[in-house]
Amino acid sequence: MEKVIEAKNLKKVYGKKSAVFTALKGVDLDIYEGESVAIVGKSGSGKSTLMHLLALLDTPTSGTIKIDGEESTKLSKKELNKLRNSRFGFVFQQFFMNPKDTVLNNVVLPLKIAGISRKKRKQLAMDALKIVDLESKAKNKATDLSGGQKQRVCIARAIVNNPKIIFADEPTGNLDSATGDKITDLLFDLNKKQGVTLIVVTHDEDLAKLCQRIVRISDGKIIADNSVRKDTAKKASERREKEAARVKKANEKEAK
Amino acid sequence: MKISDIIASANSNLFRNKTRTFLTILAVFIGSFTIILNSAINTGVNSYIDKQLEAAGGEGYLEIMTNEAVDIMSSMMSSSSEVKEYREASGNDQKSTYITDEQIEKARQIPGLESIDLIYSANPEYIKAKDSDKKFAVTNLNLMPRGNVNLDTTAGRKPDANTDKLEVALTEAYVNALGFSSDEDAIGKIVTFAVPNTVECYMVSKHSDCLKMVDAEVVGVQAPSIMAMGGMRANLALNQKIYDLATDGMPEEAKRHAFQATAQVDPEKIDEIKEKLKEVGLAAMTIDDEVGMIKVFFDAILVVFSIFGGIALLAASIGIINTLFMSVQERTREIGLMKAMGMSNGKIFFSFSCEAILLGFWGSVVGVVFSMIIGTIGDKIAHESFLKDFPTFELVKFDPINMLVIVLIIMFIAFLAGTLPARRAAKKDPIDALRYE
Ligand SMILES: Nc1ncnc2c1ncn2[C@@H]1O[C@H](COP(=O)(O)OP(=O)(O)OP(=O)(O)O)[C@@H](O)[C@H]1O
Ligand SMILES: [Mg+2]
Repeated sequence: MEKVIEAKNLKKVYGKKSAVFTALKGVDLDIYEGESVAIVGKSGSGKSTLMHLLALLDTPTSGTIKIDGEESTKLSKKELNKLRNSRFGFVFQQFFMNPKDTVLNNVVLPLKIAGISRKKRKQLAMDALKIVDLESKAKNKATDLSGGQKQRVCIARAIVNNPKIIFADEPTGNLDSATGDKITDLLFDLNKKQGVTLIVVTHDEDLAKLCQRIVRISDGKIIADNSVRKDTAKKASERREKEAARVKKANEKEAK
Repeated sequence: MKISDIIASANSNLFRNKTRTFLTILAVFIGSFTIILNSAINTGVNSYIDKQLEAAGGEGYLEIMTNEAVDIMSSMMSSSSEVKEYREASGNDQKSTYITDEQIEKARQIPGLESIDLIYSANPEYIKAKDSDKKFAVTNLNLMPRGNVNLDTTAGRKPDANTDKLEVALTEAYVNALGFSSDEDAIGKIVTFAVPNTVECYMVSKHSDCLKMVDAEVVGVQAPSIMAMGGMRANLALNQKIYDLATDGMPEEAKRHAFQATAQVDPEKIDEIKEKLKEVGLAAMTIDDEVGMIKVFFDAILVVFSIFGGIALLAASIGIINTLFMSVQERTREIGLMKAMGMSNGKIFFSFSCEAILLGFWGSVVGVVFSMIIGTIGDKIAHESFLKDFPTFELVKFDPINMLVIVLIIMFIAFLAGTLPARRAAKKDPIDALRYE
C-alpha cells in the first residue's frame, strides 16, 4: 500500500526563551492510503499539534513530512493551498461554520475557494448534503441546526471536494453518544466505501477501537502503534460491523 | 476563488452587520456628498462664468484704448488726494484719447494680430417692430465685435461681424415689449431703429424731423446676465450704419472719434502683441485682466468647502479602518478556516480590501445620488427666487466624468484605508485563527 503521509522525527516547540514548551518530541509516523487511524492520548499530549502538522496547517520546528512522497518544504505556497483545498478535508471539534450563512453556503466554501462555477458547486454541495442526509436543510441558517446536524454539515463540507484524506479533530467531542455514533458511521462509511484515508484525533476509546490502527501519544511521544498487526484490517472491519449493529439496535430501541 | 465570488461574498459580509456598515457608509457619504455637490456647484458656476466671459471676449480677444485714456481713467478711479502739478500736453489733449487711423494702420502691421476694429458709439433713440407704431426707448445698444466673443442666447445666434446685412440681438425684455410671442418667434423679424442726426437736430424745430430710420433683422435673443454685458447687440454693419446716420453732415475729422477698439489676436502671442501695441500708444486688455478676479474668488470659496469634504473623508477612512479591524477580529476563525481550506493570503487580503472598496463605493454612490437630488432641488429653488432672471445659470452642473472620477478616488481612498486591516487578516496564522476562542 502507498504511503500518503510520511512523518520523520517531528518536533514542535511552542513559545520563546523562558516559556518554551516542547509539544512534540520526535514523532515518526507513516500513514497508508485507505487507512483509518486514531490518534489518542490525554489532553495536552500533543494530538492536535500532530494533526495540524500532518495536515500542513503548521510547520514543524524540526523533522520532515512527505505527502505522496514529496517533501512538504519543497511545495510552493500555491501548491500547498491547492493540496489543502483539493486533497484534504477537515472536521473540527467546534464545528467552525459561518452561523449566519445558509447550510448550503457553508458546504460550498471549499469549492468556492477552488474557483468552481456556481452551478457545479451547488450540485456537488447538494450531493454531499445528501450523503449526510441533510438536503432538506440546505436553505436553513447554519445557526438553526442542532449540534449533530451541524457536525454533519461539517462532514459534508469536508467531503464536498472529494478529498483523499479526512482529518477529524474530536469529531464527536461535542455530541451526545447517539449523535456521535451517527457521525462515526458516516466517517467510516466514507473510509470503507470510497477508500478515503481517515485520521481521527480523539480521547474516546470506543471511537478509537473502530479504527484499523490506534496511535497512542503521551507527552509529545508515540508510545504505542498497532500498525504492524497483520490482521488489523479484517478485525477492525468485523469490530466495526458489530458496533454498527449495536448502534442500530440502540437506535431502534430508542425509537420505540 | 473567483474575483466575482470574492466581491459577492465581500458584499454579503458587509451587510451581515448592518448597523456598523450603515454607519460607516454614512460617514463616507457625508464626505462624498460635500465634495460632489461642491464640485457640481464649481462646474455650474465656472461654466456660467466662462460663458459670460466668452460673451465679453474669449481667448485672444482684446479691448483697446489709448495709453492716455487709460491714464485718465485710472487717475479718475484713484482715491489719491495727491495734487499733481499741471503739465502742458504735447498736442490736443482731448484728441489724444481718440485712437487715430495712423495707430490702427501701425497695429495692423503687428504679426499675429488678426483683426482690429474701431468702436463707434451708436445711440439710437427708439426701437419698434417694423409693422407697429409702438416705440420703446433704447438705453443700451452695444457692438457685437469681431473675434472670439460669444453670446449666451436663448434663441437664434449672435450677430455676424462679417456680413453687410444689418443684424441685431435683442434682450428678452424687448422681445416681450415689441410684441413677439416668444424668443423663437422674434428670430427673423425686422425691427426699426430711429437715429437722431446730430447736425440736423440743431436746425429742425420738430425733433422727429431729424430722426433717421434704419431696419435690422433680429437674429438672436440673449440670455440675461449677471454681468454688465446687458443691452441689445448690433453687428458691426448695423453699428456703423447707425453711427453714419448720426454723424452725417459733420466734418470728416470730427466723425472719426472713437476711443475704443477691439482686436482679435493669436492667443499664443498675446503678451508680445500687447507690448507692441503699447509702443504704438495703445493699451490692450484681455477679459481675464478685467474680470478674472471673479473666478478666483469663487474658486477660493469652493476650495474651502472641498477641504471640509476632505476632512470628512479622512474621518470616514478612519471609520473604515475601524470597521474592518472589528470585522477581522470577529471573523478570525473564519479566516483560519478559509486558510485551512487552501485560500491564499492574497485572496484573503483582496476579500477584505474589497469590503473597504465597497464601503467607499456605496458611500460615494449614495453621495452622488443625494447630491443630485439636493442639487436639482436647490437649483429649482434658486431659479424660483434669486436666480429668477438668469435661466441659463445652472447653479449645479453634474459632469458625469467628474462624478466618476470622484467615486473612483473615494474608492481608492477606501482601499488604502482597508489595506491595514486586510494585511492583518492575510497575515493571520491558520492555527492561531482556529484555536482562537
Ligand atoms: N500556540 C501554542 N503556544 C504554546 N503552547 C501551545 C500552543 N499550542 C499548543 N500548545 C501546548 O502544546 C501542548 C499540546 O497541545 P495540543 O493542542 O496538541 O493538545 P491535545 O493533545 O490536542 O489536547 P486536547 O485533547 O485537550 O485537545 C499543550 O500543552 C498546549 O498547551
Ligand atoms: Mg486537541
